[in-house]
Amino acid sequence: MAGERPGDLNKVKNRVKRKNLFQFEFLLLFVLGLEILIFSKTGTNFATQGNMLEVLRQSTEIGLLAVVMTPIILTGGIDLSVGSMLGLSAVLFGKMWRDMGMSPALAALSTLLLGAAGGGLNALLITRLKLPSLIVTLGSFSLFRGLAEALTRGVDNFTSFPQRFLFLGQGYLLNVVPAQLPLFALIALAVWLLVHKTTFGRSFRAIGFSPEGAHYAGIPVEKRLTLAYTLSGIISALAALIYVARVGQAKADAGTGYELLAITAVVLGGASIFGGTGTVHGTLLGVFVLAVLKIGLTLSDQPSELAGILTGGLLLVVLAGEALAKRISAGRIHANPKPCVPRTAET
Amino acid sequence: MISNRSLLCFASPLFFLLALSCNKPEQTSDKASPSGKQIILAMMPKSKGNAYFISCKKGADAAAKELGVKLLWDGPTDPDPARQNEIVETWITRGVDVIAVAVENREGISTALRKARAKGIKVITWDSDALPDARDFLINQATPEGIGFTLMDEAARALGGKGEFAIITASLTAANMNEWQKYIEQRRAEKYPDIKMAALRPCDDMKDKAFAEATAILNSNPDVKLLMAICSPAVPGASEAVKQSGRKDVKVVGLGLPNDNKRYVREDIAPSVILWNTENLGYLSVHAAVAVAKGELRPGATSFKAGRLGELEIKGDNVLLGKPFVFNKENIEQFNF
Repeated sequence: MAGERPGDLNKVKNRVKRKNLFQFEFLLLFVLGLEILIFSKTGTNFATQGNMLEVLRQSTEIGLLAVVMTPIILTGGIDLSVGSMLGLSAVLFGKMWRDMGMSPALAALSTLLLGAAGGGLNALLITRLKLPSLIVTLGSFSLFRGLAEALTRGVDNFTSFPQRFLFLGQGYLLNVVPAQLPLFALIALAVWLLVHKTTFGRSFRAIGFSPEGAHYAGIPVEKRLTLAYTLSGIISALAALIYVARVGQAKADAGTGYELLAITAVVLGGASIFGGTGTVHGTLLGVFVLAVLKIGLTLSDQPSELAGILTGGLLLVVLAGEALAKRISAGRIHANPKPCVPRTAET
Repeated sequence: MISNRSLLCFASPLFFLLALSCNKPEQTSDKASPSGKQIILAMMPKSKGNAYFISCKKGADAAAKELGVKLLWDGPTDPDPARQNEIVETWITRGVDVIAVAVENREGISTALRKARAKGIKVITWDSDALPDARDFLINQATPEGIGFTLMDEAARALGGKGEFAIITASLTAANMNEWQKYIEQRRAEKYPDIKMAALRPCDDMKDKAFAEATAILNSNPDVKLLMAICSPAVPGASEAVKQSGRKDVKVVGLGLPNDNKRYVREDIAPSVILWNTENLGYLSVHAAVAVAKGELRPGATSFKAGRLGELEIKGDNVLLGKPFVFNKENIEQFNF
């Protein structure tokens, strides 16, 4: 655990932040609980063990993308290319397995490496050329999807993967736990530790508050950014493997629109899109709130387009609630004689 | 240091576990109707916003009302290709009796459909098929034979039994188009010996190209009195070419959507446009799905009685909707897709 070097200022800052986040995530937890309560009444077979695990199973890909999106958003950046990376990785995996005759394990490993390379490319452009991440990843968003479509001419569809590989997405451990869950839990825990228990996490937030400030404070900004974007590439590739195993096919359109779902989950989870604040567990709560909403509506025999409306509504209500809560607590801090309220980019 | 924050992140999975543990799985799904359990049919279009499927739903609703079953109609609204799978998986959790899917991703959806079958849910496909081992029946709206024969019959009627015609197809290699042409030719040879095919041109499934090809045919083959457009963009393309050429003696028939061609049908440039009756497709799909759920329609059956549609043929595991539907001046205004 790192020392709180810049002293009092940082301590106060952390205390303030913690207080806000505590309240906010409590709000999310309350929303999640409310959803579960409502859907237990309205949905058929909603409140069952099988369905809860199904919620987790269906959230895995978006969950993975959202979890690795969190450190990026903490730095004040964004990665729009994750959904396209998922599509490209799915196609690459299929190609290496079917056309190049690799074993599924080797093809999977190569896919992860290529994912890292894709993320690395984003990182390179962002750190070296100092281009805004929004622009860079908007470019790779098109580039990766375009490559996936070019490789398959938009029509080729990789299927008939061996059963052992499909187990990753369709199998159940001990006939109960979906096979992808332990992997999801492991990655989520690893990223949580990275963000909340190491100096890396602190530097992500510092970069988000002020990249220059972070630089002058001796934080290797470029290295940290490279880490965040590369991680995002690798995990997008991993999500692709799980996606392919779950759906049983790899086509160029895999993961279309997932980047926005992931960003929605992160923002719903309390992260500021301007960087600096946000937590991995908040993101996870955001992912679950959205997944429960989607599945709960279908189990309540409601049309799926309602999910879109409610997701949007929920996001706005929760964010408004957060802004309000922040205002109230900020007021309280002002009453405190101690100075230095940090720029909590809530505007 | 160990604060509320870390407490929370342990609390959130706990919340889930709590929800898991305090609720035993229950399978009782719906209120029983007097005559036993009401059948729940979950039906999925390729996409919900498409006018074609909205029209199918009309027929499906009518059939569901007639049979007293609960119809859940849901499908993707966004372009996410895995969404069909997710909805099917949720239906499995919900516990429905039968699932009927218009398949968007053949291989992908089969994964979810097989899982449904393993859980004892009956599965059929309609409009477009999954892999054969993932469903009991396909509700097939049109056979190549039906399309080929009806196109030729309509062409012969427009020509008055004799003369020359030209075909505009999507591409010379498209398997389904070649199949249709085979039946068009068979019908012509058998029934209309006085009619001659003068040209066959590809339009690459593009309206502009169809327009250009049709114009070229009209110029180079003045004896051609009818253009048969067998891919859907070619019908309005060819009709527009005929319209702009100002020739009143040339007609167009083809395979297309009513909305694309309404104005040409009204102006009598295209006397008939062929497709299937989408309402009947939805109607039949519901009837077949319910019969499969009740065990009345089993693999191996050769015919099936579907309400107002009467006795329909089953070929292998395909329930056939029957002959294509002909849209003409009299009926085309009733359709909106």
